[in-house]
Amino acid sequence: MKRDKIIIANRGEIAIRIMGACRQLGLDYVVVYTEEDRDSGHVKTAAAEKGNDAVFRIANYKDPNEIFAVADYCGATAVHPGYGFFSEDFRFARRAAIRNRPIAFIGPRWEVIRDLGSKINTKRIAKSLNIPVIPGSDEPIYSEIEAEALAEELFQKQRDDGIRRPSILVKASAGGGGMGIEEVTRLDVFRQVYRRIQNYAKRQFGDEGVLIEQCMKGYHHLEVQLLCSRHKEVVHFGTRNCTIQSTGRQKRIEVAPGFDPEYVAYPFDAYRVLEQIVNYSIRLAREVEYDNVGTWEWIVTRDGRPYLLEVNTRIQVENEVSACISRISKHKRPVNLIREQIRTALGEKLRYSQKHIFFDGTSIELRIVAEDVKRGFAPWCGTITRFEFPEEPWLRVYTHVPRDVAYEIPTEYDPNLALAIVWGQDSEEAKARARQFLSRTIIEGVDSLGQPIVTNLGYLYERVNDILRFV
Amino acid sequence: MEINLKDLLKKYKSHPYEDHEIKTAHTGIVHLNVEDGQEVSGPTGRWKHRPGTLLYVLEREGNPKRITSMYTGFVTGLRKELDSNFVQAGVPVMVIRHSLNKDEIIDRILREVLYVFPAPQRARYFFTPEVAAAMEKEGANILNIKDGDEIVIMSLMKRDTLLSYLGPPGVLYKVYFRHGDLIEQGAPLLGICSPERLPFVERMIQRIRTEWDD
Repeated sequence: MKRDKIIIANRGEIAIRIMGACRQLGLDYVVVYTEEDRDSGHVKTAAAEKGNDAVFRIANYKDPNEIFAVADYCGATAVHPGYGFFSEDFRFARRAAIRNRPIAFIGPRWEVIRDLGSKINTKRIAKSLNIPVIPGSDEPIYSEIEAEALAEELFQKQRDDGIRRPSILVKASAGGGGMGIEEVTRLDVFRQVYRRIQNYAKRQFGDEGVLIEQCMKGYHHLEVQLLCSRHKEVVHFGTRNCTIQSTGRQKRIEVAPGFDPEYVAYPFDAYRVLEQIVNYSIRLAREVEYDNVGTWEWIVTRDGRPYLLEVNTRIQVENEVSACISRISKHKRPVNLIREQIRTALGEKLRYSQKHIFFDGTSIELRIVAEDVKRGFAPWCGTITRFEFPEEPWLRVYTHVPRDVAYEIPTEYDPNLALAIVWGQDSEEAKARARQFLSRTIIEGVDSLGQPIVTNLGYLYERVNDILRFV
Repeated sequence: MEINLKDLLKKYKSHPYEDHEIKTAHTGIVHLNVEDGQEVSGPTGRWKHRPGTLLYVLEREGNPKRITSMYTGFVTGLRKELDSNFVQAGVPVMVIRHSLNKDEIIDRILREVLYVFPAPQRARYFFTPEVAAAMEKEGANILNIKDGDEIVIMSLMKRDTLLSYLGPPGVLYKVYFRHGDLIEQGAPLLGICSPERLPFVERMIQRIRTEWDD
């Protein structure tokens, strides 16, 4: 493994985290970037650490030929896709494996990505294993008439169940990460929304298939973090709670563990529910012979009923929040899940089992984004002139925003500025520290009209009060 | 808005060129096919279906991509040292000095005559499906636009936003982007001509056609 060289096929903070994992493992790496990202911290860090020969400008992060051409030119033996882009593209993973000069894909086998990458297929497998899933379509819908019929059926079912304000979700079948989802509360506006999502899906993902499912209300969004190896080892790194999201269903605050009955009283046995979703997740992972890091996403209703939402066959933005409270054996340092991901993808054994994994305290992740929360979380475009945050032993901040020069936010990508991971001995302390961090963070900047920057710092400060609670 | 057509034409006649920097479209090994000072031609044919002069071949993943000239003109600033080497994306390879023709002069002067609706952000732009369908069926010039009409979708940071047209009512005379193009902030998106100004614009075009020698 020491002779491996990783091409990091991603940008921003995840590229920086992957560099850190490579450093820990003693692996060489190269990074790619686009013209829009020339000032990004991931480019500067790589150039400073590895020299200009380790950074390559490409036309597009989403062009596989660019990634493979650079991989061949610089002799990379593995590709880390990060999250987004190629991370859940089984065709890309397959091509890496079977091309004339194969390179390792840092992720699960392509067959696993294919099988679990489809929400519909995941739902089918889960059903066959008696794992609860949300009522709705079992396959992508391309016909408006068929879609409307199913929508009507779902509205009726909810009325029969005594739900006063029934609603359904219309989703881009090929989407993910909360993009391309709209809620419909009245059947007479369904067609309009369906057409909008269909057009969006065609533009963004090249597939106009749409999914329809019952919209659950007042639920919590939980995740189970698994790590599996090519040697059929399966361990979990607990649960996390990702309920606090923007109106566009983009996560903004994540907390590990998923529930904390010592902090909040729940009307159900929270420990039992957490155990249930971990066991269900492992059951599914074993069935498909899962072999890398993965996240099993769940929703848990107010009365403690869990439903599997989907499986993310990749590293996630929020993996770090689980890693922060996880310890292996007597190691004092939190586990580095990206490091573990690379090791397992390159064929290593875990060298530990579930009994060696311990959990310590509560961790909160804050996603700092340039967005106007009062205008539907509209992204803000402009130049950041000052970015300062405190340094504390209980805090880690990952950002690609340079702090020594002004930085223009590229409009091609999400306006995410930084991830802050806060640790506390318990949820109360973690929350207090999160608020302390937010109140001491300064971001200044201007847009093209000279108006000051808009961020979600205030929103995060308020919402951190709501962590782990059913509001 | 009054314009002095005579002065505008004089300005263009004193410097009737445009320099186009040719950059590598993506990564790969570049094989040059032209020399400094060589005359090259852009695409020709009724539908511009015959490609222009082959400038270079970019080979990536075993696939050669032939990069042909989109402009007629002369090659300058050729970077011979790149020949047969691996290049990154966006690397300047040469410049083509192109002499403006009559239609291009009309196009540039039109930007000063029409009401230009600019891109509010650097983003990708699309016509709404309804407008795209209408344009495909009947052509762009048939569209009458008024303040507040939602005709363009702006795709920014992976979010789609319907853009309302802000400006005087008129006919959609010119479209400055192709479906899904990435447009810089402030660059023109649409050129609108008020109905009462249409005859003036037509006369102006006629005059340029008469006075400009290609």
